[in-house]
Amino acid sequence: MEPRRSIEATGESIQEAIDKGLAALGAAPNEVIVEVLEEPSRGVFGIGARPARVRLQVLITRPPAPPPAPPAPPPAPTAQSEKTERKPREHSEHKEPREQKARAERRERRAERPPRQERAPRPPADELLEDHEDDEALPLTDAGPDVDEAELDDDVKVAREVLMQLLQKMSVRAQISVRRVETTRESGRENEAAPWLLNVTGHELNPLIGRRGETLAALQYVTRLISSRQLQHRANIIVDVDGYKSRRSQLLRGLALRMAEQAVQQKRTVALEPMPPHERRIIHLTLRDHAQVSTRSVGEGEGRKVTIVPK
Amino acid sequence: MEQELVEYIAKNLVNAPEQVKVSRRLTSSSVIVELRVAQQDMGRIIGKNGRVANAIRALLRVAAGDQHRDKRVILDID
Repeated sequence: MEPRRSIEATGESIQEAIDKGLAALGAAPNEVIVEVLEEPSRGVFGIGARPARVRLQVLITRPPAPPPAPPAPPPAPTAQSEKTERKPREHSEHKEPREQKARAERRERRAERPPRQERAPRPPADELLEDHEDDEALPLTDAGPDVDEAELDDDVKVAREVLMQLLQKMSVRAQISVRRVETTRESGRENEAAPWLLNVTGHELNPLIGRRGETLAALQYVTRLISSRQLQHRANIIVDVDGYKSRRSQLLRGLALRMAEQAVQQKRTVALEPMPPHERRIIHLTLRDHAQVSTRSVGEGEGRKVTIVPK
Repeated sequence: MEQELVEYIAKNLVNAPEQVKVSRRLTSSSVIVELRVAQQDMGRIIGKNGRVANAIRALLRVAAGDQHRDKRVILDID
């Protein structure tokens, strides 16, 4: 019933992991899609070193004869990988076959770029309350310099007060620092005023970020919603916690470039792990002007991910 | 704290803040926060595809924090 075979493999380098996986599957390089689950990391003094982890998914290109080798049991994970790296991305392993089939069907139809231009112009009034999901996608570079209290406009003052109230009522002790975001050309919105960045700082704020930044997304959403309602226009603000978004954004841009390189070298499609919309957008934007690859998102919902395709 | 958070958010999103009522119950396994708003404000609290309600739930989870780490946090809207 499972229409495609996929396995995970580990190795000291991504290439090595791929080679092992191919051997285990008995598949040729052009018969699989490679999804990089984790890049190798050396750790510090050998502590915390992690192997590269990839998932190979066999494309159905051959006639449905029984596979040459029985679907390999997942290769016995190395003791190391078993111990150190199990939790963070369990979600990608729980795809139900049914869901996956539906996804595969939809895959053909949906090959769009991130949706920002496709949105209809929004009517005012209550629509103010709707968030621009993609605003979160601003590839944050380092924020601009600290600003003087006198330079703050209504947007940021209102938003800061709202955010403060929310944090207080969540019993989170934290400070909020305010800056203008420096927009880059990549952001694709160079004609708009730079948004304000409200960065929440304090101790033990991880719960406020949440898995894959979901709680942070909720915090920003609610802050914008209430602020926009009070302002009677859309609050041009971004909420961050401990610089999480800036860090993540830099990481993703680095990842995008490395994976693009790999796709080109190996002449095959590389799939990244599933990401939320604003993170996928960062990948798309980073590679928008890349001469040798194009990007597209595949999959649905939680499992939606970017694939990098050599041109 | 859970009520205060939900009350603050709800009152700032509805057209009839005076009709916002929030109560909280504890069971052995859950924290249940009940939110009542005027009928015409339901949409504002739930949002498209439940987006607002889900965001409130995420923040509620943080508010319940340390004290109720082992409990499920439930937001009931009606």
